[in-house]
Amino acid sequence: MQDKRCTLQEAIQMINDNDMITFSGFVIWRRPMAAIYEMLRQGKKGLHLVEVNSGTHAELLIGAGAVSIWESCWIGHELYGKVPYCLDRKIKEGAIIAEDYSHQHMLYRMAAGAMGIPYMPTWASRGTDILNPEYDMLERAGMRNGANDKIPAKKFDYAQDPFYNEGEVIHVPAVRPNVCIVHAQQVGEEGTIRISGQTYSDEQAIKAADKVIVLAEEIVPESYLREEPERNLVPGYLVDAIVELPWAAHPTGAYGCYDVDGAFIREFASASKTEEGFRAWVDEWVYGVRDHDEYLDKLGFSRLEKLRANSYHKYSTKVKRGSR
Amino acid sequence: MADKQYVKPGEYSVVDMLAVAAAREVQDGEVVFAGTGLPMLAIMLAQKVNAPNSKLIYEAGTIDSKGDSLPSSVGDPRCVTQASVASGLFDVFNQLQRGKVDLAYLGGAEIDKYGNVNTTAVGDYTSPSVRFPGSGGNPDINSLAKRTVFIMVQEKRRFKESVDYITSPGWMVRKWPEGTLAHRKDVYGKKFLGGPSAVITNMAVFRFDEEAGTMYVDTIHPGITREQLQENTGFELDFTRCKGETELPTYEELRILHENVDPEGIFLPARS
Repeated sequence: MQDKRCTLQEAIQMINDNDMITFSGFVIWRRPMAAIYEMLRQGKKGLHLVEVNSGTHAELLIGAGAVSIWESCWIGHELYGKVPYCLDRKIKEGAIIAEDYSHQHMLYRMAAGAMGIPYMPTWASRGTDILNPEYDMLERAGMRNGANDKIPAKKFDYAQDPFYNEGEVIHVPAVRPNVCIVHAQQVGEEGTIRISGQTYSDEQAIKAADKVIVLAEEIVPESYLREEPERNLVPGYLVDAIVELPWAAHPTGAYGCYDVDGAFIREFASASKTEEGFRAWVDEWVYGVRDHDEYLDKLGFSRLEKLRANSYHKYSTKVKRGSR
Repeated sequence: MADKQYVKPGEYSVVDMLAVAAAREVQDGEVVFAGTGLPMLAIMLAQKVNAPNSKLIYEAGTIDSKGDSLPSSVGDPRCVTQASVASGLFDVFNQLQRGKVDLAYLGGAEIDKYGNVNTTAVGDYTSPSVRFPGSGGNPDINSLAKRTVFIMVQEKRRFKESVDYITSPGWMVRKWPEGTLAHRKDVYGKKFLGGPSAVITNMAVFRFDEEAGTMYVDTIHPGITREQLQENTGFELDFTRCKGETELPTYEELRILHENVDPEGIFLPARS
């Protein structure tokens, strides 16, 4: 049996500058936040983020200047801050290339990567400016010349449906990230991943990537996961490193474990309005703590306890969510 | 119904009106696709009032859930409670493309007279004056659901003659790679399923002439004049098919909305 357990620091050392990276989760849910903080501490740079959708985690990486290309369809903090201030700032500075696709396009790009095929056909989003060839930003930057084997030669292609004669189909190119970083509720010591609740686009993201790093709320015996294999998402041989790290998705939420820390995300989103605000925030919450344990200590037990999910409902019944 | 007691002006908020008007768009038994925010209020209200057999799909991957705690977003664990299936995006977006979705609610930062919506960027796309969050599933849902309803705030800068960037396709769209403006039915051909059917704002309800591809005023909310509506719109409004005032919420609808749908006040402001 190959034991893939390692520390967060060791796992993040597997990521190289300029790598293409993707993540588990959906906007503010089940994002591997502890890995994002550690990537900043280790000073990763030149990253190419490719995501079905994006969120708080990516705003942090983008704001810190760690990202040179961002390909996705949406970025924000949902209820806690819809404006992507960091991306907006970096686009205006010309410091980042932002390539737009629609949600379904990105999903199918990831699925094609997971299936080992070069592209996927779809009907989605015809008639939109997402397909405007003038807005192919990687082409405009001269990056579709084959020098980087992670960047396809075209943003889109088209073909007539050759089988049912239903018209012109859009082809979206596969994505093949170097690394997928996942937050899971449970992982076996060999890497079998069990995700509870919605699986978002995790399966496609994990299977499309060359290397997979998993942060899990807990590491459990493989034999336990094998008692109910229908509840597991991917087999261990697709996984390269596993780190047991409770609360590793904070401030995003994880089904059955804890709710989104909306107040925390709102504070970050608000701080990110300005470069100075962003710097002060990361100085306090990322560089100002040595590791994940210090981060949790700084958050404090009572704060985390309020977020903890009720074991029946799978969400917190103690967190104050609305105005009442 | 004769026993419906309508609220009076001043007894409801803008959000109440939007949620109630949107809920009334659901026909019983329909499969409805919803994103985060007001759409959640609308569909949950519809399920308790006018469309008890409608089925709800949340964009992040849960199908026909029956929770009693309002999710704060589509990725929320509350979307999973008593769901028929908890899956992922690949499943629900495939079902959308398969043509299984009857109705979807969407939002947007800007809309034009053809129902094209911009949620991506204002100004020159390559060096925008404002960068919005982006498309998300808006263009996919608006291409592949049989009917879509937009819930938006009515302001002159948001209701434009034409949008700077078509994030989500209305009735007159761009045919690529040429970029010519063409009717949606010509662009979609055999895979045409429908398109935007209503835009509900804080001032009025709009619908579309599906042949001409343009928006018209259907009903105006009580207390709003035609002049006010035109002043808050960046293109000339078509009032020729205006049916009069929008039906007000009933006391029962507001009670259910505030006591059963969003008792915590996540999306609803407190009632005065």
